[in-house]
Amino acid sequence: MTKHEHYEALVVGCGPGGAAAAATLANQGVETLVLERGTDAGSKNVSGGLLYGEKSAPYTLDTLFPNFREEAAERPVGEYYIHNVAGRQVKTFDLHDIHHRDTEWCDAVLRRKMDSWLADRVHEMTRETGGGLLTNVRVNGLLRDGGEIVGVTLDELDPITADVIIAADGVNSELARDAGLMDWEDPEDWFQGVKAVVEMDPEVINERFGIDDDEGVAHLFSGDLFDGVRGGGFLYTNDQTLSVGTVFHLDSISEEQAEPHELLDNLLTHPLLDQWFQGEYEEREYAAKLVPDSKKVAHPSPHRGRLLLVGDAAGQMQAQGPIIKGMNHAVTAGGLAAEAFQEAKTRGDTNAAGELYERKLEEEGVLAKLRPKRYRATRAVSESSIVNKVGNAVLDSPVGSVGLKAAGKFGLLEKSFNSPFVLGMIPDTKMSYAVIPERIGEVMGTRVTDDNTVEPPELDDRIGDLTYDVDDPHIELQDNSFEASGTAVTACPVSAEDFGGGCYREETIKTNGGQEKVVSLDTQPCVECGTCAVVADTHWEHPSGGKGVEYKQG
Amino acid sequence: MPEIDPTEHEIADLGPEVNQIDDEQELEEMLALEKGGEARDAVITLIENRLDDVAGEAEDVDPAGADLTEMTIADIANMVREVDDVDVLEDILDREQDGKDRKGAKSQIESRIQSLEGDDGEETEVEYVPPEEKYPDLDHPTADKQYVEGTVDGDYRDMWVYCETQQGQLVDVSREMLGQARHLMDTYNTEGDPSEGQYGGDEDGNPEEVVAVLIGDGVSELAEECIAYGADRVVYHEDERLERFKHKPYTEIFCHMCRDFEADWREYHEPRYNIFPATNNGRDLSALVQGELDSGLASDCSDLYIESAMISNPAKTGTPGDSKEFDRILHMPRPDFSGFEYSTILCIDKPHRDFHPQGASVIPGTFDMPDPDHEREGEIVEHDLELPDEWFDIEIVESDRLDDGVDLTGNDVIVSMGRGIADDPTRGIELGVELADQFEEADLGLSRGVLTASYQFDSHVEQYVQMERQIGESGQEVEPDVYIAAGISGAVQHKVGMDESDTIIAINTDTDADIRDFSDYFIQGDLFEVLPQLTEALEEGDFAEAVAEVSDD
Repeated sequence: MTKHEHYEALVVGCGPGGAAAAATLANQGVETLVLERGTDAGSKNVSGGLLYGEKSAPYTLDTLFPNFREEAAERPVGEYYIHNVAGRQVKTFDLHDIHHRDTEWCDAVLRRKMDSWLADRVHEMTRETGGGLLTNVRVNGLLRDGGEIVGVTLDELDPITADVIIAADGVNSELARDAGLMDWEDPEDWFQGVKAVVEMDPEVINERFGIDDDEGVAHLFSGDLFDGVRGGGFLYTNDQTLSVGTVFHLDSISEEQAEPHELLDNLLTHPLLDQWFQGEYEEREYAAKLVPDSKKVAHPSPHRGRLLLVGDAAGQMQAQGPIIKGMNHAVTAGGLAAEAFQEAKTRGDTNAAGELYERKLEEEGVLAKLRPKRYRATRAVSESSIVNKVGNAVLDSPVGSVGLKAAGKFGLLEKSFNSPFVLGMIPDTKMSYAVIPERIGEVMGTRVTDDNTVEPPELDDRIGDLTYDVDDPHIELQDNSFEASGTAVTACPVSAEDFGGGCYREETIKTNGGQEKVVSLDTQPCVECGTCAVVADTHWEHPSGGKGVEYKQG
Repeated sequence: MPEIDPTEHEIADLGPEVNQIDDEQELEEMLALEKGGEARDAVITLIENRLDDVAGEAEDVDPAGADLTEMTIADIANMVREVDDVDVLEDILDREQDGKDRKGAKSQIESRIQSLEGDDGEETEVEYVPPEEKYPDLDHPTADKQYVEGTVDGDYRDMWVYCETQQGQLVDVSREMLGQARHLMDTYNTEGDPSEGQYGGDEDGNPEEVVAVLIGDGVSELAEECIAYGADRVVYHEDERLERFKHKPYTEIFCHMCRDFEADWREYHEPRYNIFPATNNGRDLSALVQGELDSGLASDCSDLYIESAMISNPAKTGTPGDSKEFDRILHMPRPDFSGFEYSTILCIDKPHRDFHPQGASVIPGTFDMPDPDHEREGEIVEHDLELPDEWFDIEIVESDRLDDGVDLTGNDVIVSMGRGIADDPTRGIELGVELADQFEEADLGLSRGVLTASYQFDSHVEQYVQMERQIGESGQEVEPDVYIAAGISGAVQHKVGMDESDTIIAINTDTDADIRDFSDYFIQGDLFEVLPQLTEALEEGDFAEAVAEVSDD
């Protein structure tokens, strides 16, 4: 076999999972090379924006990286509310208990700032071991020798081998797919999130949200805001911006042929938000990403040979009702993967790292949080359409309203929203996302009288404001018929019906004597979220290192 | 009468024949015949070269009586290598001192004397064995290379910069290198701290120069520009056969300039530093030249600076255990392991073997583009060398320029088509071409939307639907007098490619289209109706009237 450059450990991706893995490896003196395809760590990364430090977690970023919270995070978020919306009727619950349960701290973050800060430290730490961090390089697959995974192949460099490969390369992990551990098949396995980072002066934030400089707030939104598409919205306070976004089940976006950017606008323009915007709206960045639904796709055995998956790449994203935790699990998983390698090395068999990692995920309770047994047990019943219909009928009946009112009076609803036990069972149906909150809002809510006059930018301006380094197309449309790939026209966050400036466009072409509806693709405005890989028939890859979209906020 | 009358033969047939002839007389006669006949340049060169060869073979120079003033330094170096008599060498040295007194020539002779006498009693702890004695089994020991022994204790000066050209222009990296060379040599010529690269000029305190080298067809026109960007002196060689980069002649010319070119201003053996661009051609040339000059090369450098260096390697110092400071060392950092690490290459003489010129090739974009100073003064020198035909054995029969096959810049008018052509794409392109044809300097542009769509075009317009016609962020940027945007909504990615145009005329059915915001004229209408009207109006006369007329509708 050809001799390749070799490192003890390779970490692919320098988000929180990769950074935690690399730092832990470096702390143990393992020679570690970190590969990042962005021009800067964080330039490819988006998150809603809340990072938890859990009391029960074996690894958190503030312990791995001193001064992390002061220097890399935005505001610590102490207050947590959910608004149940029915038209102008809104009923707000305080989710204080669930937010603070097992929470040491919780900070709003912006990924460009956070990840690039982490990357600087990771580079320093890994360099001590004889490795380092390399940006602008895209790992495009696994290197195998006699069927065994031995390293990675890259667009820009010769293949590199390692004793362990920690893939922290995100939700669209090409390594996880190369290894056959993940696929892009079923829209039900995914959420799609879109987000606007909105400029706001720190003093204005303090005043309008009633907080001090070192305080932050989180608001969640559910109900009839989103045209029946299953999902919800969020708003978090950063130092001098707000992160406002929406997250929906991808299968629901597909079925309803919803336009994600319009659903985001529904939230941004809802009267409830006028109290914070007060007619002023300056959008700094529009962003989107896929989010794995860990209840379905968190891989129970996220390793193969020398390859260990961490974070989104392993589906480790916990979204159960108002609990949205992803980055913290990635950090824990990264630390555990590194620990597993070190232990395996001590025992003289680095190939055992995967098994050890799997056992640690189980023992530390990570998997239990990601894939609650209660969800699996109740899903068959609660997501069946008959049960939902009955539920709907009950809610609509006078008896149902009385029941809700009574429950509300005694604080039972607020309590159940704050119960991890109930949340673990919340089925992914329209009833739990839209109908119940809407009925709560309708029956118990108070009326919002403000008028929200803000006008979010059009999609073409949102795209125009993003920074791209356009390269050759990285996505190929395998089947351009509308039946196969037409969903992408609406579901893609940078495409829309009757919009010529997006990635996916619907076209009618004249063929011999007839007409045919087809889809065309231009990857120039692509934000690399991966939606079309799921909903359309494509060959999907990331752009080469440093190419494609560059998020400044993330 | 010679055996062969050249006037009766084709050039191709003559080559092998002429090279068989050893008789000077016969060659002279042939030359006379050719000059009296067609006087073909190539034939004359061929015969003259053969004459030179034959004459050279015949006349075995007698070192004791050789006329040194007629000989180049290289010739002298070759000659003295054969001489084993120290007295003869001393005599040659005296005569050179009385004659041209070239430092380079003297050092050649002195070093030969020294190598015969051995060092004056100094303890040379590393014994020097010439390569041919050390490796008797090698079929071409290094000493067979003419200049290996020639470059011992040579005299070196100046920083030479190879200025690559493309399409009759300096490429940017040439300007960048001149700027950096200027900066380095200004520092070098300053009195001060050698550790900061300040040496106050050469070993005798005379300032050294930045010498720009231009090779190509018609390159003398670029000489002034080289001076403006920092050169003190430009040496150029132009010849129409040098229009394209070719290994053989470019290497030969460059080496000749560096080593054998006799001119008043270069009383030295070889350049001190040679800098090349790390472009495709520059990488090629740098390796060949530095190889031919028996020095080294640090390729793809990402910085350059000059300072002194303490070296303990006995191969360099000659004495194990000792450190020695080498000054005027060009430090050449370059990326290793694909840019993951950097190492700094130093090219340092060792006993009995010089490594000069210190050579580097530089990654384009490494240095800032300097501001040209058109007031700067410098010397321009034409390099004088007959280029033999056999240097041009390789002929480029066909060439193709990639990527920018269609250059839309420089047109008076651009007619650009967008996704408004969707209803009948073929007709849309036809209309655009017809309108563009009405102007003298005009061409057809396309929005990215058209190029990435699934439109089916008839074959006769397909030639126009090419990526290279794209206007915008990922295509070309144009600023014609008139830009006609038909059926283009005007996304910002398109706008950046055209909004410097003098007059922008937009045709769109949608009055809310963004392009309206940065158009001088906005015609609300269907391009399938508006374009033919404009074309018709132009055929008849006044365009401005036509625009006014249509936009009044």
